Amino acid sequence: MGQIVGYVMSAVVVDGDCAFSLAELCRASGLERTQIVELVAHGVLDPQGTAPDNWTFGGPALRTARAAGRLMRDLELDAAGVAMALDLIQEIAALRRQLRRGGAH
Amino acid sequence: MQFQDYYATLGVERDATLDQIKRAFRKLARRYHPDVSKEADAEARFKEVAEAYKALKDPERRAAYDELARDKRNGQKFEPPPDWDSGFAFSGRGADAAGGADFSDFFSSLFRNERTRRRGPGNGPHGAPFEAGFAAPGEDRHARIDIDLEDAYRGAQRSITLRVPAAGPDGRPILQEKQLEIRIPKGIRSGQHLRLAGQGGEGSGGEPAGDLYLEVSLKPHPRFRVEGADVTLDLPVAPWEAALGADVTVPTPEGPVQLSIPAGSAPGRKLRLRGRGLPGTPPGEMYVVLDVGLPASDTPAKKAAYADLARAFPDYAPRGAMEA
Repeated sequence: MGQIVGYVMSAVVVDGDCAFSLAELCRASGLERTQIVELVAHGVLDPQGTAPDNWTFGGPALRTARAAGRLMRDLELDAAGVAMALDLIQEIAALRRQLRRGGAH
Repeated sequence: MQFQDYYATLGVERDATLDQIKRAFRKLARRYHPDVSKEADAEARFKEVAEAYKALKDPERRAAYDELARDKRNGQKFEPPPDWDSGFAFSGRGADAAGGADFSDFFSSLFRNERTRRRGPGNGPHGAPFEAGFAAPGEDRHARIDIDLEDAYRGAQRSITLRVPAAGPDGRPILQEKQLEIRIPKGIRSGQHLRLAGQGGEGSGGEPAGDLYLEVSLKPHPRFRVEGADVTLDLPVAPWEAALGADVTVPTPEGPVQLSIPAGSAPGRKLRLRGRGLPGTPPGEMYVVLDVGLPASDTPAKKAAYADLARAFPDYAPRGAMEA
């Protein structure tokens, strides 16, 4: 029961030039508005703008919000736990990069 | 289809309490969560663990599973009898449907008759029940796509097959395959998302369809390491090339280029090929790290050459800094 779309679609990169409003980020990430507001309060997401209604998130916020959503759902973490987990994950990634560079010679 | 022993997956006894099941799941979830774990098969293990937990944490599902699991061994061939689960009233966790496509055939066939709460199109994973006359844009959907480094350099056209939920003939949701031809722009980086406008869930009440997001992952390359937009290559060189300098041919994801190794290069020296990382504005850099090899001295002539070298460097003190 396959369905084939008979034309080639161009995929658009969601990058730094891309912007999401709060509502758009909710939709794209599958998170609730309150969850995103909490993630902002814990510094996991860092939108431009002063109030939720005029917040603008950059493209990379989608990746962060998705990862945060997975951690909250799968590990039952709250926003503070997610903030710490993401910080540590980033730190470990940086250390691994250093290790790889160090291991190259 | 193979029978799956959910108790074994979680490492608990068949008479484990809900608390024990929860504890076992949480511990394994932290260990194998794909966002946290670097173990090679973390994602597959996490899915197994999540599926086992999903089946066992719900008393109704667990009872149904136990009923069926009696006398079954893990990995044994298995066909569920038709409508075997009709006697169980499932509460239907519509909220889990977002991840539903990830569950095994075993799980799907086991719990296929669950009364799934109808979700209004356009609702997120925590959507409200469907209401007549409800108009909403389609939901955004997500999938992952693995891309070769070379394709990230050049851009590529790829055919992808998605399993998307659709209404079956009896109104129950089924997974339908949908094939898309997509053009991937060059310069894509690992972790970035691609958006395909209008390829998400269908809207209702005249509202537009949602978007499809593809999270990109660059496949590991046997030769090049990628960090963000920068690409690194370890380049084996001979001691005399490093000492005297040399023009050598170096592979890059775009094809070979000529590189001048400066005379007097120490092992581990990092040379930059400006702008030859992943394309973009600005493009990434490509780094070549010199890996100076030491030829084996396996003939008298080669041994003599090393001896000549030693004589030519009477002042060379490799452990000079260690001598107090």
